[in-house]
Amino acid sequence: MLQKKLAFIFPPFASEYPDDAFTNLTGFDDCFKKFLAWAAEFADPELLQFEIPAKTFLQDELKTQYISYIQSCSLVSWFHQKGLTPAYCAGYSMGIYAALFQADVISFPGGLILIRQAFNEIKKVIGNKHFGMCSIIGLNQDDLEQLIQKENLNLKLAIQNSTCSFSISGTAEDITKVMVSAQREGALSTRLINVSVPYHSVFLKDTEASFMEFVDQIQFLTPKMPIISLVDQEILFEEHALKYEVVRNLFTSLNWYETQLYLQELGASRFVECGSGKGIVKNARFIEGDAISLTANSFTALLDSK
Amino acid sequence: MALITEKTREEVKNIVYNFFADECEVEIKDIHSDTNIIKDIDGDSLMFLELIEIFKKKYNLDIELKTIGKYSVKHPVQTIGQLIDMQLLIIEHENRLLELDK
Repeated sequence: MLQKKLAFIFPPFASEYPDDAFTNLTGFDDCFKKFLAWAAEFADPELLQFEIPAKTFLQDELKTQYISYIQSCSLVSWFHQKGLTPAYCAGYSMGIYAALFQADVISFPGGLILIRQAFNEIKKVIGNKHFGMCSIIGLNQDDLEQLIQKENLNLKLAIQNSTCSFSISGTAEDITKVMVSAQREGALSTRLINVSVPYHSVFLKDTEASFMEFVDQIQFLTPKMPIISLVDQEILFEEHALKYEVVRNLFTSLNWYETQLYLQELGASRFVECGSGKGIVKNARFIEGDAISLTANSFTALLDSK
Repeated sequence: MALITEKTREEVKNIVYNFFADECEVEIKDIHSDTNIIKDIDGDSLMFLELIEIFKKKYNLDIELKTIGKYSVKHPVQTIGQLIDMQLLIIEHENRLLELDK
């Protein structure tokens, strides 16, 4: 059944795998195991070693991306079996691939292929250079841009999460510097993100041509529900727009703050974070409006209580 | 400069306790002045930020987040009691908070 006010949001790769992420989802474990086995056969046999208590793969960026994608797709399938279809979907950062799967634009293996290729394209571009990302809370966009300019840092604002919460990409050295400077300037919190890639920034612009050529060979179907772009908050519908979204997602800054506001304008009032973490739910506290953000687990508990 | 009365102190305490009980899904009776926000109840900096916004609205405060951030560098908050004390200072001194260190 289509839930008119429901939006599924797909998170990027996990920084942790909580033991209790899906306890309310009866039968989810079996569903996940099926997708995991499928991915192991298709993408990487080592994925079968994944175990939540062991915190497997958290230091392996590609495998962690696979696992997050597998978890998200398993949730899509699980909710689908329960007869639940969202009215909208969006992929936060590398969650774009699961959003495409949700909307039936790509197959499950299609997403795995795209993840692997994007990873390879990125590695070709960054080579042995050291990059990174951090999140800074408590400074606004002007503060951060001035800070970066003043200290002549090789950094870019990559994701805006709220008026005073940003992710920044750039050289590893300058990421370290900006975290110190931001605290001195009054940031309430700075945190190094566990990646070695400057996602959503111009540092990855050189992936564009080659990745586009690859994406063009993959079949993209018409989405069965609106997918909202985090780049410009447009509804993605045309095949070329969808393909280009996947490509530019690597090197263009994202605005999750504006995307949430736009989803509310469209009528979405309940956002469900379709992954194992709570990052999106936590961030949603700072968005104007009455929308409620829930983890998949708490959303399921809410449904069961009705 | 606002005057901090016993009523304000109690009001701030109630808001903080109820906020963390709700956000961290713990019983109010399990929260104490020396409860460590991160280690004991799994709180985070986003919660701190949200709480600041709640107090800014409630007391119509004129304070920039970065002023609080700068103050926090010298006076880090770890426990519920420290957080309440800082919120009271914010209500009392608003943007003049940093003058306390001069």
